[in-house]
Amino acid sequence: MLLQVLLSGLAIGAVYGLMAMAFAIVFYVTRVINFATGQLLMVSIMITAALSRAGLPDIVSVVVGVLASTVAGVLIYLLAVRPVLRFDRFSFAWLVSTLGVAIVLQSLAAIIWGPTSRGFPALLNRDNLHIGGAGISVQELLTIIVAIVVLVGFELVRRRTLFGKLGQAISADPEMASAIGARVTGFAIAAFAIGGLLAGVAGILVGPITFSNPYLGDTYGIFGFIALMIGGIERPAAAMGAGSCSASCPSVRTRSSARRRPTGSRSSSSWPCC
Amino acid sequence: MSAESTTPVIAPALRLEGLYAGYGRFDVLHDIALHVERGEAVALLGPNGAGKTTLLRAIMGMVKQRRGVIEVAGTDVSRLPTHRIARGLVGIVPEGRRLFLGQSVEDNLRLGGLHLRHDHARTAQLLRSVFDLFPVVERYRARPATALSGGEQQMVAIGRMMMSDPELMLLDEPSLGLAPLAIQSMADALLALRERGRSILLVEQRVDLALQVCDRIYVLSGGRIVEQGAADDIDGRGRALIDAYLG
Amino acid sequence: MTAGIDMAAGRTERARSRSRFIGLGAVALVVVYLAANLGVAHGSYYVQNLAEVGAVFAILALSLDLVAGMTGLYSLGHAGLFALGAYATTLLNANLGWNVFILLPLSVVGVGIVGVVLGALSLRVSGLYFAIMTFIFTLVVTVLISDLDFTGGLQGIAGPTFPDFPEGLSFLGSSVAWCVGIAFLVTVVIVWSIRSSAFYPVLLAIRDAEPFAASAGVRTGVVRVMMFGLSAALAGLAGWAFSFLGFVSPGQFNWTVSVNILVMVILGGINTRLGPIIGAIFISAFPVVISIDPLVQEVIFGAIFVLVIVFFPRGIVGIVTSLARRIRRRPLPATEPSAPDTAPIAEAELAAAGEEPQVSDEIALEVRDVRFGYVRGTTVLDGIDMRVRRGSIHGLIGPNGSGKSTLVNLISGALRPTTGTIEANGHRIERLGAAGRPARGIMRTFQTAVLVRELSVRQNAGIGLYSRVPRISGRSLAWPLFPSAHRDDRAIRTRATAALARVGLGSGWATARVADVPHGVEQLTQLAAATVGEPSILILDEPLAGLSSGEVEQVSEILRQLKRDGVTVIVVEHQTRFIFEMCDEVTVLAAGELVTSGSAAAVRADERVREVYLGQ
Repeated sequence: MLLQVLLSGLAIGAVYGLMAMAFAIVFYVTRVINFATGQLLMVSIMITAALSRAGLPDIVSVVVGVLASTVAGVLIYLLAVRPVLRFDRFSFAWLVSTLGVAIVLQSLAAIIWGPTSRGFPALLNRDNLHIGGAGISVQELLTIIVAIVVLVGFELVRRRTLFGKLGQAISADPEMASAIGARVTGFAIAAFAIGGLLAGVAGILVGPITFSNPYLGDTYGIFGFIALMIGGIERPAAAMGAGSCSASCPSVRTRSSARRRPTGSRSSSSWPCC
Repeated sequence: MSAESTTPVIAPALRLEGLYAGYGRFDVLHDIALHVERGEAVALLGPNGAGKTTLLRAIMGMVKQRRGVIEVAGTDVSRLPTHRIARGLVGIVPEGRRLFLGQSVEDNLRLGGLHLRHDHARTAQLLRSVFDLFPVVERYRARPATALSGGEQQMVAIGRMMMSDPELMLLDEPSLGLAPLAIQSMADALLALRERGRSILLVEQRVDLALQVCDRIYVLSGGRIVEQGAADDIDGRGRALIDAYLG
Repeated sequence: MTAGIDMAAGRTERARSRSRFIGLGAVALVVVYLAANLGVAHGSYYVQNLAEVGAVFAILALSLDLVAGMTGLYSLGHAGLFALGAYATTLLNANLGWNVFILLPLSVVGVGIVGVVLGALSLRVSGLYFAIMTFIFTLVVTVLISDLDFTGGLQGIAGPTFPDFPEGLSFLGSSVAWCVGIAFLVTVVIVWSIRSSAFYPVLLAIRDAEPFAASAGVRTGVVRVMMFGLSAALAGLAGWAFSFLGFVSPGQFNWTVSVNILVMVILGGINTRLGPIIGAIFISAFPVVISIDPLVQEVIFGAIFVLVIVFFPRGIVGIVTSLARRIRRRPLPATEPSAPDTAPIAEAELAAAGEEPQVSDEIALEVRDVRFGYVRGTTVLDGIDMRVRRGSIHGLIGPNGSGKSTLVNLISGALRPTTGTIEANGHRIERLGAAGRPARGIMRTFQTAVLVRELSVRQNAGIGLYSRVPRISGRSLAWPLFPSAHRDDRAIRTRATAALARVGLGSGWATARVADVPHGVEQLTQLAAATVGEPSILILDEPLAGLSSGEVEQVSEILRQLKRDGVTVIVVEHQTRFIFEMCDEVTVLAAGELVTSGSAAAVRADERVREVYLGQ
């Protein structure tokens, strides 16, 4: 019984952890928190679901869905973040512009696909494994494995390679980094692309459980952000750990999804400004 | 520029011709003509606000060039982005050093040789040449860059620049904040670099240091070159002239 | 001469009429505001609710701008503080029956104290971690109020009713509208007072140039915590007022509300008078006022965020100011930015020197057997002795990393010695914090001037008077209302102008923004800030770094004048010609130990000094 709780906690925590990593990698290079990260997860889920409904094979829908969230990540950088940073590298104005993007993406999705939940391909969620009396779907197992691989991979790159150290150099002094031959803009684009990719993958992994809904970005954005804040923003590994912990702490989960705008005048949502 | 163009000449390490550059709407540099031959060390003197740092930044592609020629070793760099210029064409020791303080001394050096990172033999050889020039840097290679004194940090900054094996080396007031002995060892290092045939453009406030290290000097004032000459020719009167500009 | 006096008289006359004009304007503004408030109080429920919610969030946005904009603390704790105010008022009224007017000071002071504690805990960590700590605070508050029994859980709880006006005053309309409106007015008065006070440059100095502020005598840590406390108290006020608007429930105080408030501040224009108010009104009113398809409306709402910030990173107020600037000087100057009207650095107008002043035998500053290490077990300074005679110029030289800067930091209080004593003007000071030293007559400058770039040269110089203006922080809450504050404003301006003139910066430079002046002027500005308070001991850390030879001569002349005025000067410098020419005595350090100390000539001839420092 305990093992069962632990396994499902781990699986859902892995999703939060992936989201936290999506936030953290962007922050690591650019010192920006992309508040539309949750909506990138939503983009991949919605597009995958729509393509699947249109009759495309699962694998194609999944690949296009993930690609879409990756491209969306890059577009967010180019359209909403880069102009702000060029004006003042130290301002927090990106907070407003990325939140704006989050609102736009979410409402557009609701306009296009309707505000209610719809189906999502089951993918690997049909197959179950049994480990010592506890059941886990292959999908959940895959989620845990992907999270661990991403985490270990990132830590290896960060600590062991010149490439990883360059990331830190770029965030500390972008101009000097370009004066030693680093493509600073390229790096930032890559960071937002990887952020979008991770959010997209997290979406595919969690989609069979949540189905598709334009407001999913809210929930997962919040948990990823909380995991990031509690874990420590400069240590993605700890953020991942915090993601798993917060998943097994049901109190945080229910509280944070209590949603109401201060004015009480607008519909349900707890992501800032949505 | 007396070189006759009838014989094929090696392109100079740096050639600026009719260069205008600046920030925002305003030009800081006006009609700059300047050249650094291969293996030559050239000093750029001038009072504060004359545009010396802006000139170095324009060569690195960090300041918008509006008109004119910027050629490094025969390559037109005026349209290249900074990171391309930094890959083997120009290396810079910026004002205030700007080391990557979170990183170790060795990582700082290796980051300097970024575009050569896959060429392990060349990187090792460049690292060796930095350590030969600055033995103290080798001793401290594993320390964080913050743990070094100002003079030692300046050596790391010069080493980081050497690691990219550039055609042209730019140094922006490397003597700033250094004690007399540290300035002397820095001057020795610059002389050693010149000995090895490197091309250097040095921005300095200290005329004595510039005259000791360099073959020729330019004086920049109000964004224009107002004086130039060979370092050997600078007699008492010439120095007075330079001092007048620097004052 | 008479012309000069006439001019001065004319100037004060103009200043007086100007301040009278401003006073009248302020009164008119308040009258108009109250009239508008009356209108709202008689308005429909829709209008009232819209205005009241907007006003509550405007209070929150203003209070956050106080810390985020002026002090550089990006707090995500304001939703939590807001919640404490609202729930304290609601619960104490519902369960204990306390009167709402007693609850007003209680929730303001109580939440203020919580803010002070939270600030004191969070400010140990800086920057981003401050945001994270305060974020966690909000998270904990919302979890508590949704989990505890007596808070009404997730459903929330009905707020207290605000008493109606008595019979005679019922013409005023809705009492809640007045309650919220007055709370907003009080907040505006406090925040705008601070913005217009002499304390404002000090706050920006804490934000952008903390060592500079500390060297002027500002206890930066304490001020930060108190500012956060004040900001929290205003959030408590917002909570108190909010509880009368209906239900209070955890969802209204989520951490996302914290982010929302920050968005209001940035979108409206951070560190501006009107920005936070405009941002709050826009965000709280837009969804209510624009009644189209809710999803389309949201898309427009989000798109406005992106467009405003991308094209006007300074926010909505930035749109207005950049438009105003474009209208005001349509034909842009074709040439370079015009230099201030006087010659760049005017010759210091110094009276011809009388006879050389005598250096007395009295000791102004004595360092005895000082040891120091940054980490336990390591030594940076090992048993240093230094005696500085009153009225002398004392040089401090040594190789890079020899410990000169550390010694200067010990004398100026940025660091404290492990053992040993430091005595200045007959008082032991080694245990005194940096902020206590200006009061003992010690001021200092830094290697590279770090000043407040968005303020003028004169405002920066005025910061040096912080320890000379009594109760500046307390009075800043209602600065324009104190007659003494106007006197102090004038005094600060006059003395700062005089100090700038003494270092050769004429009136042309005084009003230039530091961001626009060359490096040499910045160095001279910090020299003016260090001398404006007329210190008895002045410490200069590499005052010549990056100066050209003409400027070096100018600094030398300023030093000679300071010596004539009887100021004791300690100067760290590498330019040996300057050191041996200017200094009466010189102390040499190497590798954390004292090499020698004595007259300039003796030190110059010392064999060991040549060996470790000078070279041949």
